Amino acid sequence: MGLLTNLARGLVRGADRMAEFTSKRGPRSHNKGRGARKLGYLTLGGKFIKIKEMVPEFVVPNLTGFKLKPYVSYKTPKGTEPPLTAKQLFMDVVAPQIEKDIKGGTFDPHNLEKYGYESTQEGKLFQLFPKNYVR
Amino acid sequence: MRLTALLAMAARMKLPPDYRHGIYRPWTAAAKANNPPGLRRKKVFVEPISKEDWKVFRGDTVEILTGKDARKQGVVNQVIRARNWVFVQGLNTHYHYIRRTANYPGTYIANEAPLLLRQIALVDPTDRKPTEVEWRYTEEGERVRVSLRTGRIIPLPVYQRRDGIIPEQWKDGPKDTSVDDVLDRTYQPSLKLFEEEILELQGIVETRRARKSYWY
Repeated sequence: MGLLTNLARGLVRGADRMAEFTSKRGPRSHNKGRGARKLGYLTLGGKFIKIKEMVPEFVVPNLTGFKLKPYVSYKTPKGTEPPLTAKQLFMDVVAPQIEKDIKGGTFDPHNLEKYGYESTQEGKLFQLFPKNYVR
Repeated sequence: MRLTALLAMAARMKLPPDYRHGIYRPWTAAAKANNPPGLRRKKVFVEPISKEDWKVFRGDTVEILTGKDARKQGVVNQVIRARNWVFVQGLNTHYHYIRRTANYPGTYIANEAPLLLRQIALVDPTDRKPTEVEWRYTEEGERVRVSLRTGRIIPLPVYQRRDGIIPEQWKDGPKDTSVDDVLDRTYQPSLKLFEEEILELQGIVETRRARKSYWY
């Protein structure tokens, strides 16, 4: 409820008390950040140690021969693709391999690792559960 | 907050339930000046017409039944469904004087006033007279507007974009992706995560693993 609502009611005069007190306001001694995350840790001596892995780095691939451009032509017809679900991914990638093996007679229910089954997430860099990557 | 939430907020304006829709669209500066947040006005009663029952569209020829410009026909310029309003080009106007300044002599400008759906009737193309219209289905299953007096189908007006672009005549610029490139499906489904694929393509080898952490 800012200044405008109260003016519309015609009751209260003065500054907007509910506005956020950001780093742009206050005296010179008021020094606060705007929510950037720390890139390392502070030691007991007061020194800040930056960790290179915490600094974000943009990995840009080589875009020669890349056909997609920033904008889309007006002539394209409207439409959507069905969203990719886990079931759809399984049917596209794993199911044909399992079918081929069953028909060939080499299907082994105890050796599902060759179709991509992971019995444990230990030792993996990007673990699915508990998720340890940002995306 | 989450980027997706912020974008969703920016895309759709949240209006209060008793918002009075005026001549200006809610996201314009004039509408925001007339309707500051916290404003409560007397309720305007609007005849509820569902989206499927709506018959008048931009570009239609309609005849005005009552008012100053009665029995005149015109093309619909703008439709505001929230108030059942229709603006007909050049008709039902009032004049607004723009005062003269040092560089400008001063002139009258005609502004169209909105007309309710009750004061409007669609025009039958055969005899060019106003008729009652109904939505019906053809033999093929297409939903069309049919004039009740003569039974003739009133075709929907051709949809023209406000920015004047005709998609069929559009010439692709240097920053436009062509239609074939857009519709080309190059996705190869794989069980690898996006991050793992990028590591492989860039040739990055990561042997370190994160320390195990626990939370409760």
